[in-house]
Amino acid sequence: MTTASTLLAFVALAATLLLVWRQSWRGRVRLFVVQSCVLATLAVVIGLLAHRPALVVVGVVFAIAKTWIIPRVLHRMGVGSPLRRVAPGRSEGLSVLAAGALVVVAYVVMLPITGVVAAGVPTRSAMPLALAMALIGLFVCVTGRDALGQVIGFLVFENGVFALALLATYGLPGLVEAGAFLEVLVLVLLMEGVLIQIRREHDSLDVDRLRELRG
Amino acid sequence: MIVLLLALPLVGAALLARATGRLGTGVHAVTAGATLVVGLVLAVDAVRGDVRLGLDGFLRVDALAGWMIAVIVIVAALAAAEAPRYAAHGGHRGFHALLHLMVFAMLLAVCTDDVGVMWVAVEGTTLASVFLVNFERTRASLEAAYKYLLICSVGIAIAFAGTVLVYFAEVIRQQTLAEHVPNALRWTALLALAPSLPPRVLELAFVFLVVGYGTKAGLAPMHTWLPDAHSEAPAPVSALMSGVLLGVGVYAIARFKPIVDAGAGAGFSGRILLALGLLSLAVAAAFLWAPGNYKRMLAYSSVEHIGLVSLGLGFGGALGVTGALLHVLNHGLAKSVLFLLAGRIREAYGTVDLAGVRGLLAALPFTGRAFLIALLALLGLPPFGLFTSEVMIFAAGFQQGHPWVAGGALALLVVAFGGLLHAVHGMMLGAPPAVAAVRGSWMAALPIAAALALLVLTGLAWPPGLADALALAARAVTP
Repeated sequence: MTTASTLLAFVALAATLLLVWRQSWRGRVRLFVVQSCVLATLAVVIGLLAHRPALVVVGVVFAIAKTWIIPRVLHRMGVGSPLRRVAPGRSEGLSVLAAGALVVVAYVVMLPITGVVAAGVPTRSAMPLALAMALIGLFVCVTGRDALGQVIGFLVFENGVFALALLATYGLPGLVEAGAFLEVLVLVLLMEGVLIQIRREHDSLDVDRLRELRG
Repeated sequence: MIVLLLALPLVGAALLARATGRLGTGVHAVTAGATLVVGLVLAVDAVRGDVRLGLDGFLRVDALAGWMIAVIVIVAALAAAEAPRYAAHGGHRGFHALLHLMVFAMLLAVCTDDVGVMWVAVEGTTLASVFLVNFERTRASLEAAYKYLLICSVGIAIAFAGTVLVYFAEVIRQQTLAEHVPNALRWTALLALAPSLPPRVLELAFVFLVVGYGTKAGLAPMHTWLPDAHSEAPAPVSALMSGVLLGVGVYAIARFKPIVDAGAGAGFSGRILLALGLLSLAVAAAFLWAPGNYKRMLAYSSVEHIGLVSLGLGFGGALGVTGALLHVLNHGLAKSVLFLLAGRIREAYGTVDLAGVRGLLAALPFTGRAFLIALLALLGLPPFGLFTSEVMIFAAGFQQGHPWVAGGALALLVVAFGGLLHAVHGMMLGAPPAVAAVRGSWMAALPIAAALALLVLTGLAWPPGLADALALAARAVTP
């Protein structure tokens, strides 16, 4: 179980790092789908190995939501926006370097906890990888100069937190998990509505144009 | 009873999604009134020490929850009384429905014993209010809605990670992942286990929780969405957001504080809350000296007051927590009244620029006077309740051995005081420009007057039982 979960979390982190490096919107959405697929597999694998049928269901629902519904909405969001760099003025190299530093940060934060006290949890060694994914997502979200970049950063971040929940506690109780899924879906749909309006108003999704409110 | 309280706004919202016109206004009024009455009855029971359970312990209203229910239903009633003026403007039928949905989500957040469901409910408040922030559909409100949705969602996802870590601590303690512990995320269960939970995990969890729920609460430096959303939303929504939604964020932090304190020692959570409280005061004080827009001014003042509440919780002790809880109510009353009046001022003057509003006292006698009185209350002058709760918070600071923090906060408060007073001086006096007539009636004046009277009550003459109720509620945070 330890090996399988660490391996899958590592693959997901690799997809996340590639996502930082890729600058085109389609490429990013594709990598987000890859990351989500790996995490859904992780949920199913943990569910099978730990004999938790509920977790297999979570994995399947996660797969439907994150690799089918949300990417469709994301593609609709991206329609019409020019194929330009999502993070202009920054080199991909620097971003990936920063993301690498965040992996180190995640290990520094998590190791004291997972190394000493968490002996009863077989998947604990992958927890820093999940935190790293979350931190990188946050980084993409904060540095995105474009609404699309910020949204995908948020979704990657959300996936990282989901992975953390899987690895730390085999997911949360069903009601909370269901509520969280539902809200991510509603949020993405609301975000689509807002972005469509922003594009209609400003003819662009560049967040630098959002400058009505200052001070 | 709890189920009834939660069902009322939910059913009301469902009906209002269909009903329009006079029928819609009627359903809205009945829903708001019934929620107020049921909420107050439940709250009075709870703060007397009668812990109510519902749905097999899934819902649990203790004194702290009862206190928050009271704040929510009172401010919601104030906002609801003003809502019909705005619902007509936008041409949406969703205004009333979303307002009640927001109230439902807030009530669920404080009524549930499950910290996971509390998280779902707090996130629900964001989703319900995004459309309300963007109700006027201008460029500025659109920008505010985007920032609000993005920043609060990120914040709330961080709080989710914190909740996961708390659960992780519990799993480590039980040494088993074989089966889900039933009711593992119940607050009561966590509190009972807290002394034996691993301290390092709890500390990390608390950092995530404070950043996450602190974003919803509007603590600096996570406050950046707040001035935009609160100033662009229609007045009743601003009143609800500033008056209670921020308090619900603080409530979530307050629920986790005793768990972390029991497991990791009291100093850790207190230091974080003190630091964020001071920073919030500093940010607000700096801005309040140069506001251009009176709704933004009120929004920044919310950052200031949430900073004070955070200081009260951080100082701790019975006095600090009591002061913080009382301050949540007082601030909720004063700020919601101010936002509602600001909406009327905007309607009359047609601008939200401070420079455009002159001679308020002469132009709009009732609105102007009420605005001045509520503002003096907000500034913390006696005989209003904010004076009392601020004195309690600062007394707690000196009593608990934080004289430097309390002194610094007091200095920042004076700076903010000066800034607000300066701005309002300009609004009140001077020659008024031509002003559009505002429909005024005793119906519109009544809720405002009632809220101001309540503020005098919490400041000057505590009704019998208030002190006991507050002490009981504070015991949930500092056992």
